[in-house]
Amino acid sequence: MAKVTDMVLWDKPGEKVLLLGNQAIARGALEANIAVYAAYPGTPSSELTDTMAMVAEKAGVYMEYSTNEKVAFETALAAAWSGLRAMTAMKHVGLNVAADTFMSAVGMGVEGGFVIMVADDPSMWSSQNEQDTRVYAKFANVPVLEPSSPHEAKEMTKYAFELSEKFKHMVILRTTTRISHARGDIELGELPEEIKQAKRKFGDFKKDSSRFVDVPSNARRFHPQILEKIEKIREELAECPFNWIEGKEDAKVGIIAPGLSYAYVKEALAWLGVEDVKVLKLGTPFPVPFKLVERFMDGLERVLIVEELEPVVEEQIKTWAFDKKLSIEIKGKEIVPRIYEMTTRRAVEAIAKFLGLEMPINYEELDEKYEKVKAMVPPRPPSLCPACPHRNSFYAIKKATKGKAIYPSDIGCYTLGLLPPLNAVDTTVAMGGSIGIAHGLSIAQNGAINESQRNEEKKVIVATIGDSTFYHTGLPALANAIYNRSNVLIVVLDNFVTAMTGDQPNPSTGQTPHGMGKQIPIEEVAKAMGADYVAVVDPYDIKKTYETIKEALEVEGVSVVVSRRICALHKIGEMRKKKEKWPIYYVNEEKCTGCRVCINTYGCPAIYWNEEKKVAQVNPTMCWGCGGCAQVCPFGAFETEGGEQ
Amino acid sequence: MREYNIVITGVGGQGVLTASNILGWAALRAGHKVRLGEVHGMSQRFGSVISYVRFGEDVYGAMVPEGKADVLMSFEPVEALRYINYLKKGGMVVVNTSPIPPVQVSMGKATYPSIEEIKKVVEEDFKAKWIGFNAEKLALEAGHVVTTNTVLIGALTQVPEFPLGEDHVREVIRISVPPKAVDMNMKAFDLGIKAAKEILGL
Repeated sequence: MAKVTDMVLWDKPGEKVLLLGNQAIARGALEANIAVYAAYPGTPSSELTDTMAMVAEKAGVYMEYSTNEKVAFETALAAAWSGLRAMTAMKHVGLNVAADTFMSAVGMGVEGGFVIMVADDPSMWSSQNEQDTRVYAKFANVPVLEPSSPHEAKEMTKYAFELSEKFKHMVILRTTTRISHARGDIELGELPEEIKQAKRKFGDFKKDSSRFVDVPSNARRFHPQILEKIEKIREELAECPFNWIEGKEDAKVGIIAPGLSYAYVKEALAWLGVEDVKVLKLGTPFPVPFKLVERFMDGLERVLIVEELEPVVEEQIKTWAFDKKLSIEIKGKEIVPRIYEMTTRRAVEAIAKFLGLEMPINYEELDEKYEKVKAMVPPRPPSLCPACPHRNSFYAIKKATKGKAIYPSDIGCYTLGLLPPLNAVDTTVAMGGSIGIAHGLSIAQNGAINESQRNEEKKVIVATIGDSTFYHTGLPALANAIYNRSNVLIVVLDNFVTAMTGDQPNPSTGQTPHGMGKQIPIEEVAKAMGADYVAVVDPYDIKKTYETIKEALEVEGVSVVVSRRICALHKIGEMRKKKEKWPIYYVNEEKCTGCRVCINTYGCPAIYWNEEKKVAQVNPTMCWGCGGCAQVCPFGAFETEGGEQ
Repeated sequence: MREYNIVITGVGGQGVLTASNILGWAALRAGHKVRLGEVHGMSQRFGSVISYVRFGEDVYGAMVPEGKADVLMSFEPVEALRYINYLKKGGMVVVNTSPIPPVQVSMGKATYPSIEEIKKVVEEDFKAKWIGFNAEKLALEAGHVVTTNTVLIGALTQVPEFPLGEDHVREVIRISVPPKAVDMNMKAFDLGIKAAKEILGL
């Protein structure tokens, strides 16, 4: 197993390697001679950005972790305006953040190829909603390429740059979790000389205010141009190498399978043993190349569109077929589910239903049997790591507010504070939303602090937000709360890293992949904005954290407490690399009274209950030595002598 | 071979991803088409995790369909039960029998089934073969708890008709672990093989 960095940079055309879809896309961008890459991490897109971070310097590419998707989009867009090949990546909800610039910039076009990689998350494995980026693309009139395998994702990345440059129009490369987080055999292609020599490429912005200043008079001109362009692209895509017709030529039945659904359809057909069928493999769900569809439809009597999430392809084809007065039966979402991710089982079920075939597995029986098993299986949701500083922060917040406050929170690992026993998250909407929601709640519950009419029954609002999220979209919300005289406590859970998406750096530490960033301390920002109370605490000192929060709650106005301690997972990773040891706690069974305070209020995953001995115990392989348990236990039963890992 | 499907389950942080990667590379080196489906992001944090390893001539999607896994390999007993619906009839369950009780269980809000109960479901309801042993104990015997996944992979290679050669898989482990840990992992691998052979009566 070679290192990812090596494989992505390997000058070995034809070599087969095993790469994650996201890593394959990074390789594709290098093969396409990319010059500038900017992104904010978001699962399932993050590994593309992380891979670019690892290889950028060695390939002469400028790469940055931007503070949010909108500024990342603007950074890459401007590079593309300057004639360079540029790329940004985000998760589906990230496109919402970038949407303002995205929608407006479409009409301005690009000079160098501009590719926006958007990773959708059907079934919402790590997301707050299930939006289909293809709908956005159609809305904005931007073409979408959708791969059916990790290898195709790499090839499509190259093609996306070419298509974008040819039409001077931005292009979306849309993946889903099962492409981004799937590993497959990837055949390496040629790397351009400039990438091999790590030669940084510089662009040239040619001023043109009729194009780059989006005033209404220009925008009015852009809109018809966009529509004209998209029709030209539709023509072009009929010949796109990622679209093809396969199967039996004179079949009466056809299946249209966009993106990854093609993979599931292939498996389903093999599994069902169906051969008398024609398949349209569609790598371009928008705009659908009608010329190709027309060729495909020739001779067919019935067609099924097997598509994940929204009926994007279906609606285009049905409208087109209606206008053409085609007498072909076209089915889609009547049979194929519109929610959650596509699977082989779902494809088999849809095709079997469409063709009137028996299922190859008796799923009714299997599901029934499994229902009984499920009742036996205890839930195991993800949890805050052992030694996670957030656990201590939540613990202190709960204690200081006696559990009686409203707790808006945000997007990050700390959203897990929702789970028992902490139960310290009441709302989570979107990145940076905690401060905005906290302000709104405060105004609604209590009124502004300088208002003549205020509620006598004051409700306490404590918002939590992570460091990266604070810089992402927390800043304008904080300014708003301070400006409008809110009465809230904002606890910034600063763990020095963007932990949930895989330890990316952010302005809190100032580190960048190239080590040339500048640190922006959160407390300085809060002070400069005019917060009424600002303090910094170490959450590993639970008592001090609790006291500080108590003090902050006494202050009228916006209080900001920065609860700062490095991410435990990140720290342990570093310590393991350096072969450093950490203390391991154990329960002194003589002192443990079996009160379960540690389990019922603190909830470290390393602590469990020994039913036989009726005492708490520590799983030594999971203890990361923070000592929080020792601070929480009323009987001093957690000790650390001797044990080290 | 059209397809071979392995489902690997466990608790986030146990090394499920590493194990699937090792098997994926072994399959790639054996000339197969390979697909691995993995769990990333927040779901990895000490929660229940599942990953898919598929190889052969005819694999496309990254997920094994329910009822189609040749082997279900689990790092934790109750996690084998959680994903038992992926196993095909007459499939194999390779499982580490050392439990990690979830927080819900410690809080007294859920119960953890006994190993015997889990085994009964596997053998009687799902008509599958149970290769269960304390892999963690063997890993500690080999030198460190982190080799639990190597122990299990060793056992996996003994599953009847497992399509990747024992030495082939061993070679991938050898080049994937840090040089200092090679001997320890080879020992873990052998202990896994031995345990499986005993259970299977080989």
